[in-house]
Amino acid sequence: MCKTVFRRLIGAVITLFCATLVLFIIIRLAPGDPIEIMLGRPGDLAIKNTPAYEARVAELHAQLGLDQDMLTQYGQWLKRLVSLELGTSIHTGREVSIEIAERIPATLMLSLAAILIQLVSGVVFGIISAIRAGKILDHVIRLFCVFFASVPAFVIGLVLLMFFAVTYHIYEISGDANIYRLWLPAITLGLVSAPQLIRMVRANILSELGQTYIVSAISRGLPKKQIMRHALKNAMLPIVTMMALSFTNLIAGSVVIESIFSWPGIGNYAMNSVLLHDYPVIQGYAVIMVSVVIMANLLVELLYMLIDPRLRNRSRLERGLENE
Amino acid sequence: MSKGKPPLNLIAGIVIISVICVLVMGAPVFTHYNPLEQYPEERLSTLSKAHLLGTDRFGRDIFSRTLYGGRTTLASSFLALVCSLVLGLLIGLTTGMFSGTIFDIIVMRIVDVLMAFPFMVLAMIITALFGTSLMHLLFVVAIIWWVPFARLTRSIVLQVKNETSVAAAKVLGANTRAIIFRELLPKVITPILILATFELGTLILSISALSFLGLGAQPPNPEWGSMLADGRAHFFQAPHVLLGPALFIVLTVLGLNFMGEGLRDYLDPYEIIKL
Repeated sequence: MCKTVFRRLIGAVITLFCATLVLFIIIRLAPGDPIEIMLGRPGDLAIKNTPAYEARVAELHAQLGLDQDMLTQYGQWLKRLVSLELGTSIHTGREVSIEIAERIPATLMLSLAAILIQLVSGVVFGIISAIRAGKILDHVIRLFCVFFASVPAFVIGLVLLMFFAVTYHIYEISGDANIYRLWLPAITLGLVSAPQLIRMVRANILSELGQTYIVSAISRGLPKKQIMRHALKNAMLPIVTMMALSFTNLIAGSVVIESIFSWPGIGNYAMNSVLLHDYPVIQGYAVIMVSVVIMANLLVELLYMLIDPRLRNRSRLERGLENE
Repeated sequence: MSKGKPPLNLIAGIVIISVICVLVMGAPVFTHYNPLEQYPEERLSTLSKAHLLGTDRFGRDIFSRTLYGGRTTLASSFLALVCSLVLGLLIGLTTGMFSGTIFDIIVMRIVDVLMAFPFMVLAMIITALFGTSLMHLLFVVAIIWWVPFARLTRSIVLQVKNETSVAAAKVLGANTRAIIFRELLPKVITPILILATFELGTLILSISALSFLGLGAQPPNPEWGSMLADGRAHFFQAPHVLLGPALFIVLTVLGLNFMGEGLRDYLDPYEIIKL
């Protein structure tokens, strides 16, 4: 057990290391002179074409370590990342790590609310759909799933916003993150991500019902309720893995939703920075997102090992067969 | 495999997709408006007989723009998906066949690393650094979208390669290439096709979301995502501006999802036990 945990940890660290290397290469491959970008602030632009500007360029060149070779540059960059020095925003001139940290609570609030909605509706409707497999209610739920899996998140968001904010004035349009403004984006995000979970819960329960232990339970004449309870317990396990996947999807989905509802989270901030060409912010956002995804995956794997005793002492190869 | 009557959702999906394909490919037949021509006097007019889906802020006919725009959206998404499918299939087949070797370990590490990049995040970095265009988005798709195909293919190959049919082929003297393409490929292709229909839907949704935020195709070229971005500012004033492209995106993805579900029910159904 300890050995497996250790191996997972090492694997995650290597993945994180490779991911930062990929990011570094992408950033270095990008067209545009980093110094010109850094000197894009009005104060610096004013001295362009003067000796002072040239001096500033030379100073920055040395300060950024651009005269060193790539490997040293990567090493220094990595060292700054570890100590969370993400540079300063070109647009506001403030520390990127502070700017992002300020916006994390809003995003966290939104994603937790959305995950809660997704989890509750996913499990409830998934179970109903599986128990009533082939009946009308199952067909209705499945149709609902296919429909909401096919509508872009921003369309649902805009329609809800139109209905609640513009037509009926129930929802306040502003740029604040508070509990009264949470419900609409959370519902939108929940609606978009629920179908996937409903489908998975349904499929899991149905495949669990095909196992031999269920057949033996039926032949022993156990009551239907008790059999269902057995099946549900086992069918719920893979949901843990599913939640990690949906967390990744939520990060992606929240960019759009935050942007539509002008929710002051990190997704909205990163999106605005892309449009403002605020490179340090985007770079910081990418590093943080990638680390969060890797950590979420690691956490889920460890949690999964803790819950499911069958997986505790298996090699990666064997597990790969079943997980996929 | 059970080959009975094809399920209703498969038929529905195929009908929806064919109708959209016919409409988009035969755009000049169904509309006589030029998608780029502006009629300022008719700007933001609602649905009418003359303009089936109304006009946008420059007075361009939205129905015509949607049909012509579908060509860009559908063709580019389809092409990007086919590329990643082929790449994923090849990588999955080879890593599955040579599992446990250095090659497999390195490729699986690359898969791990790529899986740490959500599509949205990578797309944002690339478009921020290299500029916003549909080409850059498709490039991101090509980098990242082969992963699910490779993973699925590899896991199937790992299961299948110890079966007797493969052993028999080996005994009969088949070389590795023959085993991969004659024995393994046919077993992999059905689940991969099913996955591909779903993935194409997801791809269209993701690209339209990015275009909606202004990172995709740039105006004035009609493309569903960029039309959505263009109409965003006028949505609350004239909601119909988004109706055309949104409707077509929803219908396309709906058709693809129906097709995927139908194909799965038709080609590899799972047993439903009745209590």
